[in-house]
Order: sequence, then C-alpha cells, then structure tokens
Amino acid sequence: MPTRADLVSTLLATALAMSTGREARAQHQGHAGMAMDSTSAPPTANRVHVMAQAIPVVTHAQHTAGDRNLTEGYLAQVVAMGSGRLLQGHLLFDVTLNGEGLTLRRGELSTGAFGEGFVDRRHPHTYLHELIASGVGSAGPLGYSVSVGRGFVPFGTDDPMMRPFEKYPINHHLSQILERGLVIGALRLGPAILEGSTFGGDEPTSPGALPRRDRLGDSWSVRGTVLPFAGAEVQASYASVRSPEQPAGFGLDQRKQSVSGRLVSASGERYLLAEWARTDERDRDRDLAVFGYETALLEGAATVGPVDLGLRLEQTDRPEEERLADPFRTPRPATDLSIAGITRWRTATAAVAFPGATLGPLRGYPYIELERLAARRRSATDIFDPRQFYGSPIWMASVGVRIRYGVMHPRMGRYGVALPAGPSLHMLGVDPKQSSVHAGH
Amino acid sequence: MQRSFASLLLALVAFGAACGGDSPSAPGPDNQVNPCPATSSPSKAMTVLGCGDVKPKRITGEINVRGTTAYTTTWNNSSPTSALYVWDVAGNVPTLVDSVLVDGASTLGDVVVTADGKYLVVATEYAGGSIVIYSLTDPHKPQLVSRFTSPETTSGVHTAEVGVVNGRLYAFLCVDPGAAPAKLVIVDITNPAAPQQVYSRFIGTPFVHDTFLRDGILFLGLWNAGVAIWDVGGGGKGGTPSNPVDIATLQTANGHVHNIWWLKDPVTGSSRYAFIGEESPGSVGTSSSGDIHVVDVSNMSAPREVAFYTVPGAGTHNFSVDEQNGILYAAYYNGGVRAIDVRGDLGTCTDAQKSSPVNQTVQLCDLSRMGRELAVGLKDRSNNVYVWGVQYLNGFVYASDMLNGIWKLRAVSR
Repeated sequence: MPTRADLVSTLLATALAMSTGREARAQHQGHAGMAMDSTSAPPTANRVHVMAQAIPVVTHAQHTAGDRNLTEGYLAQVVAMGSGRLLQGHLLFDVTLNGEGLTLRRGELSTGAFGEGFVDRRHPHTYLHELIASGVGSAGPLGYSVSVGRGFVPFGTDDPMMRPFEKYPINHHLSQILERGLVIGALRLGPAILEGSTFGGDEPTSPGALPRRDRLGDSWSVRGTVLPFAGAEVQASYASVRSPEQPAGFGLDQRKQSVSGRLVSASGERYLLAEWARTDERDRDRDLAVFGYETALLEGAATVGPVDLGLRLEQTDRPEEERLADPFRTPRPATDLSIAGITRWRTATAAVAFPGATLGPLRGYPYIELERLAARRRSATDIFDPRQFYGSPIWMASVGVRIRYGVMHPRMGRYGVALPAGPSLHMLGVDPKQSSVHAGH
Repeated sequence: MQRSFASLLLALVAFGAACGGDSPSAPGPDNQVNPCPATSSPSKAMTVLGCGDVKPKRITGEINVRGTTAYTTTWNNSSPTSALYVWDVAGNVPTLVDSVLVDGASTLGDVVVTADGKYLVVATEYAGGSIVIYSLTDPHKPQLVSRFTSPETTSGVHTAEVGVVNGRLYAFLCVDPGAAPAKLVIVDITNPAAPQQVYSRFIGTPFVHDTFLRDGILFLGLWNAGVAIWDVGGGGKGGTPSNPVDIATLQTANGHVHNIWWLKDPVTGSSRYAFIGEESPGSVGTSSSGDIHVVDVSNMSAPREVAFYTVPGAGTHNFSVDEQNGILYAAYYNGGVRAIDVRGDLGTCTDAQKSSPVNQTVQLCDLSRMGRELAVGLKDRSNNVYVWGVQYLNGFVYASDMLNGIWKLRAVSR
C-alpha cells in the first residue's frame, strides 16, 4: 500500500522526468561525457542533458547470509538522470530518478552490504534520488554557488554508481551521505574548492520516503578539495550527522571523516581512487563515542585493447544488528541503541567490461564481476560470528549489461562550482567519440 | 603512462592476494562446552551453584522462574521460528527438560508466569508481533492456550508484563515502533483463551521498553521521555486499565529508560524508591553501558532522582529484588550480576559519597561510594558472560546469559 509520501514522490518524479524529457529533445546530448568546469566562462546557450540506464544483472552468491548459496537476477540501477544549465549558466540543475524501489524491492544480493534495514543486500534507493538546483556566480577569480534540494551531502567520494563496478563497495554508508534534504554553499578559487552544508540527518526509510521537515538542518558537513593537476583530485571532509537511523532523532549520532585521492586520465581510460573513511557513533545523551567503523578502499580501472579491466580492494568494518526472520533485513527503526558486534570485511573485486553494442538509441555494455570476500569478528567476544553465519569461502559472481540511453554522467555527488571538469570512466561504457569531443572543457 | 598504470594494477592484485584469505577463528558460543569453571574467587563474588547442563545453540534472552521450573527465551533466531526453553532448577545444575517452538517470531524478548502460576505469557517480535499464552498445568510441558495479535501489535511486542487489577488479569504490551510509533497496548487476559484488547496509546520517545505494575499503579519506561507513572486502578485518580490516568513523568539522567522496579519493603514498610534501568549502547557479548537510577516516589506526583549506581565498562538490564532482605539484583550484561543493598535511606549521603552520572553536573548519592554494592556474580568465570535477565526466588538467583544460557547462584545474605 503506497504511502502519501510514496505518491508525492512518484508524482514529482514523473513530472520532472516529463519536463526534462521535453527539454532534452530540443538539445543535443553530447555534453555529458565530460563534467563541465564551473570556473570556465559560462556558456551562453542553455543546455540540458539526459541519460537513462538499467542494468539487468544475474548474481550468484556463494556462502551468503545464513550460509546459503543463492542465484538471483534483477534490473538494477534503474535511473533517469538530467542535468543542465539555464540562465546563461547561472542556474544549474541535477535530477536523478531511481526505479529500484520497483525492481529491487527486496534489495540486490550483495554479501557484506548494509544500510537502511538491509544487510547482505544493497537497499533500493529512493525514487527521487537527487533534485538539486544550484545558483552559480563569480567575483573575479572566485567562483561561488549555492545548491538546494535533495541529494548528496558534500562528504566523501563519488557515488559508486559512477565508478567501475556494478556491485557497490561495503563502505557505501561510511563514505557517502545521500538522499538528504540539504543546502550547500561552495567556493572555488583556482584549484581549491571548499564546500559546507547543512542537511537533515535522517536516512530514508523506504523508496518513497522524503526528507523529514523536522530534521532539516540538524546536521552539517564540510569538504575541502584540491585539484593539483588535470585529472587529479584530493579531498578531505568531515560530517556531523544527527541520528541517521532513528527518524525521530533519538538514535546515535555520527561523526564522519573521509580522505581520498582520485586520478583520471583525460580520456577516462585510466582511473584510480584511494579512500579512507571513518564513522564514529556517539551517544548524545552520555556524550560518549560508543562504536567506530573504519574503511580503506583502493580501486582502479584501465582500458586494455577492446576491454576495460577493473580491480577493487576494500577493508570495511560493518555494524551487525539483530536480524529479522528474513536474514537479509534488520528492524527499522531499531528497538534500542545496541549492536550485535562489528564485522571486518576484506574484499577483492575484479571486473571486465566488454565493448558496447548499439540497438536503436540504446547502447549495451556487458560486464562480468567476480568478488572474493572474507569476514571476521573485530572483537573475539562479539556475539555475531561471521564465520558461523556465512561459512567459507565467500564469493560473488555477476554478469550483466549496462543498457543506456545517452551518455553516462561523469560524476555524482558534487554540485555547482564544486564539480571539477573531467570525463566519465571509460569502463562504464562511454562512447569515446562523444567523450573526446568535449575534452577541452 | 600505460606502464605505470599496469604497475599499479599489479600492486593492487598483490594486495588483494594478501588480504583476501581467511584465518582461524576463535571458538564461537556454540563450540564452548559447559560446565563453566571459575577462574578466581574474589571476596565479593556470589557463589555460583551451576550453569545449565546444556548450552543452547540459540542466543538466550529473558528468564522467569516459578517453583523449580525456569523458562528462558531466545533472541535473534536465524529463522522465523523461535524457541522457549524449559529448565528444571531443583538442583544446583539447571537441567533442560523441554523446549517449545514458537512460529512467526525471530525473537522472544520476554517471558512471565502469572502470579497464580497457571499461565506463561511470551512476547514475540517482529512481524506479526504477539503474546502467546500457555497453560502450566504441567510446568514442564507448557500447553498453548491462545495467541493474541492485533493490527496494533504487528510491528513486534518487545515486553509483556502481567498483573491483576481489581480482580482481572491484564497483560501490558510494549510494542515496537515500525510504520507507526511505539505504543502501549493493554490486553485483558482474565480469560486466557480469549484475550481482549482494552487500551492502546502511542507513547515513548522513541520506544516504550518495559512496564512495572504494582497496586494498580503502572510505571512505564519511555526511553528519552523518561519514566511515566499511571493510575490504572490503584492511584486514587480514577484510572483503569482501559482508561489510565497520568500521575507523573520524570526524566532521569541521560534518558534511555528501559525498565523499572518499585520496591515495597515488607520489613521497613517503605515504598519510597523506584529503581530505573537505563539501557545505553552496547555491543552484545563485548560491551554495554547504562546506570541504575534511584527515584524517590514518596510523593508519587512529584518523583525525583536521588541516587544512582554505575559500573564502569558495563550497563544494566533487567532487575529482580529480594524484597524481604532489601537486596536488588541487576543483570549487568558483561558486568555479570550485581547485588545492591537497597534498604534504608538511599537519598541521604555525605559529600564524599556523591558523584555525577556521566555527562551530568548534578550531584547524586552514589550507591557504590555508599558501600551498597554487596556482591558481584559471574565475573569470576572463565566464560565471558552477557547477562540479560535475573530473578531472585527462595534464596537463589537465576540469571539468563546470552552467551551461556542459564546460571544458578546462591542469593546474598545480610
């Protein structure tokens, strides 16, 4: 039974999709393989870019939750994205609609994943994933922007959807803060970018959930970014998030830190990301840090002849919670502030993406991913023992096709002047011709 | 450039090979063997008489003991069927005599025997939340009488206390938040074959975790909304179970109000103090936090916190009081069992006996500094413990341990 929030969300999403679709037909779609640098002189022409994607994927998980072997298929990452510049580049907008609430209601099999009441499955994202309007201006060499709406908090690294692997890393909830109602102020001077935001700390509780009005502004973040040379980016960020998992605001708070370095070649054919992040959960009433989760991730991709190769290595701590009769779900909201332990995951993921094929306006980019995981209790006294729960060895293998209309957006998680120029990753199936056309931005 | 990227990828592969393997695991709870030997005998250690002859494969939850039979629930079952264990505790070593499977429940968070010993009431979580009522005609063989669920309990019944008000038997259900906020549901189980819901109310910030009924007065643990006191038939304000009347609400230090025990001391005649359990964050098996708060309820309309008890590195959960001897036994998770002298004036102490709860500035009597901690149980074991519940009965203390099952200890004497 859809809630009122579901209906509002769906209606809003539909209206936006229709309006962007109309605009898009009047524009060319070639500007998307490359993020536009907001410090460049604003283009005089308004322009809009749209992209839609869906990934039919089959995943086999060996020794997943409850020590079972499962093979499942879905339509994952069902998204329609629009972005553009209006008012001679002074008004930017970003909108992403996500249909996973319809195609991934029970979540996507992904051993190790956690968040929003799902565990060992990636949760479906909200229908209205992102809707941000940014006002952009400059004063001499200083660029500035103010962004308002629902979307990514300026914290951590890009959303995994814009990175080389279909399966998200385990650290998604440690390294990104998304789908929040927010206001962001950003400054850019030469190679330096500074962002600050205030937002509502509450995580979505369902695909149709909208940010709670009474939580808006109870959390904040700051992110500093330096672009030392073309294609290189280093960021450090900090966020104070109030009660993300108890919508009413009485849960544990989070203090989050992130440092990362990113390198992308001009063609998008070489990519490297290294990140470290830590989330400390605090009991606000007792003013004490109670749990801490750390992650380190290294991932890269390279185009080798006709194929793209990717490799990701990750170590991430995950909180364990009481599970429901469905071992892939935990109570939401939780019924107290305790956990059942902390599991340290280590994963190695390899991916191969193959050349795309065209069918009318659509392109399909097949890929294969193979992931090896190992999990152990961080403390020998924790009651949750992953070795008993999962068995061993833990593997996942996936085969899928990225089916896309339009060109992949290069970045996800930055707005206004905080969005550096750069290409989409070749591994995600960017048409090299389209990408190279805009290499000069 | 291509060569440097190839080198990097090679390095990544090498790192992956290094970090992807398994290493030998420590033995899990299921692999440990009872009995459970002592490692030392500190002077304040409670005497452990025995632990269960079987260590349950499932994680143990709450305990309730009647006569020589104990009932323990199970928590976080990895299936939609939970188990209730029945133990013969006549001897020093509790002996498993039966188990009862409860469908449609991943956790049984609470169990209680009615005062007349005739029925056993079990709370079930999550989806399809309910109470299940068993006949104890044969205490070792509980027989299903009925199961009560309603649209107002479907998110899960966290606890269920039972008690008699004006001759009728009621169950007080603390319902988990779900699509709707947490609520208290009161069910008339005078006819246990046909329970009737008589009241419900959204309450708790954000939870209502437990209740305590005595003499027609109901105490409610409302987490950050503190502790509430209702007249449900004995408060002189006209309240009934179907129409409770608020008497008072009190915020205790640091909130997280979980459970309550209102003490009526049969020796001194005092009914001045209620003991409030604070359940702050913990990691099951490893850590816990939360204090016991002592509230003076001599003026029921204006309760006030006068003292507290804290254990560094551990937090409290459920209580049981040996009222004849004025000794409160508290389950303290990784802190074992704590026996505290609660007879006499708890709200008067010297300055040296005062301190402040963590993150508070108010000075309260500190029961530890007042020398009121009489004994500690289960901290002298070679097994780690994580004690959920405790019950005093007839000179013994029974403890449910999430890691090891059930323990029997000798009660503390004055």
